[in-house]
Amino acid sequence: MTTLIRLEILRTLRNKRYLMFTLLYPALLYVFFISAYSGGTVAGGVPAKSYFMVSMATFGAVGAVLTGSAQRISLERKSGWVRQLRLTALPGRAYTLGKIASCAVTTLPAIAVVFAIGAVEGVRLPAAQWLGLALALWLGSFVFAALGVALGYAAEPDAVQPAVMIVYMLMALFGGTWFPVSDSLKAFARFNPVYLYNQLAGFTRPGQSLDTGAVAGLAGFLVVFVAAAAVLYRRDSKAA
Amino acid sequence: MRTRTGTDEVAAFRGVSKSYGTVDAVSGLDLVLRPGETVALLGPNGAGKSSSLDLLLGLREPDRGSVELFGGPPRAAIEAGRVGAMLQSGGLMNDVKVAELVAFACAIHPRGHRPEQVLADAGITELAGRRVDRLSGGQEQRVRFALAVAGANDLIVLDEPTTGMDVSVRQAFWATMRAQADAGRTVLFATHYLEEADSIADRVLVLHKGRLIADGTSAEIKAKAGARRIAFELHPSDGPVEERLLRSLPGTVSLDVTGRPDGVRTVRIRSTDADADVAALYRAGLYPRGLEVTGLGLEQAFLTITGEHDAAITGEHDAAGRSEFAKESAR
Repeated sequence: MTTLIRLEILRTLRNKRYLMFTLLYPALLYVFFISAYSGGTVAGGVPAKSYFMVSMATFGAVGAVLTGSAQRISLERKSGWVRQLRLTALPGRAYTLGKIASCAVTTLPAIAVVFAIGAVEGVRLPAAQWLGLALALWLGSFVFAALGVALGYAAEPDAVQPAVMIVYMLMALFGGTWFPVSDSLKAFARFNPVYLYNQLAGFTRPGQSLDTGAVAGLAGFLVVFVAAAAVLYRRDSKAA
Repeated sequence: MRTRTGTDEVAAFRGVSKSYGTVDAVSGLDLVLRPGETVALLGPNGAGKSSSLDLLLGLREPDRGSVELFGGPPRAAIEAGRVGAMLQSGGLMNDVKVAELVAFACAIHPRGHRPEQVLADAGITELAGRRVDRLSGGQEQRVRFALAVAGANDLIVLDEPTTGMDVSVRQAFWATMRAQADAGRTVLFATHYLEEADSIADRVLVLHKGRLIADGTSAEIKAKAGARRIAFELHPSDGPVEERLLRSLPGTVSLDVTGRPDGVRTVRIRSTDADADVAALYRAGLYPRGLEVTGLGLEQAFLTITGEHDAAITGEHDAAGRSEFAKESAR
């Protein structure tokens, strides 16, 4: 199984689309936002460079995970690679686990690139908080990996690709990726995993601790997505 | 030399049926494969070949009946590394090099071969550094084949393996396949190319509309279909001949007589025993002119058998040869 995971990681890193959309795109947007706000703050008094460092890191991580799982799984179901793997000695779940593992590895560069730009642009955090933030965002990405697996088994690539884009953009739009969520919308935002994901960074602000509500919410989404993924995966393996 | 070792069963279908909606893909299939056999699975599109292979490999569950590989469930045999398969619907991993993909297949096989060996066996050593997504159709087929022989399998299943290969590659492919069979492996392949079944398989299965309608050597299948064609002319100057006499020839499966205005009749007979028929012609005092006896290919045999089967299930109890005769005479 480790052979499969190694190969999955290798091919993802080699894929130019991955590099474009999950590394380059969020990094460029981040640089753009910093210059657009020219050292100012977003609503709520958070410096723009800190705010968008987190939101672009999560944007890149969610993008990496959704394209890495949902689109690839649906494409590879269609191409027959999933069937071919079923004819090997690998257990059936190895494929899905391999996808999740490679997602987990490939989100790290997406987070690291944006953090590096942030550090260069003058975001200052204690070392423990840099590490803690990276860890929180990394763990949070697993929620979206599970969602991606579920979407990948839900439909054909023609349907999955637009579905992923719409889900991703709506969650980002109302999840604080482009601008802070206004107070009137916060009641709804609690049901948006991207919003909860962005909230994970709250502890790095002075006088705040980890948002346990967000952690609990994300854990809830993780359970739902894993369950959906398991059901859809089983349906798929029966109809291979 | 290939040997058949007793009553071991490589694969067994027992009363297997599978339908999709109202379509019976496989119905009542009973079949046993024995070690060392090279078996061709023949059938037109939609005959149930791919469905049968899916059932054999445990990719689908039968509605009725049971499928066993090496005396157990298919999945167990696959996990034990006893089966290598190359399906039409099997895809390849993108964004990797051929050598990496083959090395992966060798690594996950419980009894994997060395990747260099597998690349050489499949004749793709020169493709090793190429990206999988940049191969031609025929090259892709050979990579698929490499995945199917990445380890020491006891059974190799191939679904139309030479589709997309050009003639020389096809010949090289079958040479490799024969080497696998000579090493004692059981090979089951589905094909459209009847000459492949004819020249490679020592057992031919004909599948039609989900049913197994013939099972034997290719010689037996040809014999069953009325495997030789006798053609000659009867001239009026040689005396009158009644069609009844022609029809009563011992090996005749189908008879076609066409007449010309000058009274010359052309007779075409499809026969399971051409020697006896020709002898009987002369014994009856006929003078067949321009006599030709030609062997039928497996292709014509196949068409005859599937045609007979169609006639039988649509309730026309006339032999296919008869209905063909009627059709041809009507023209």
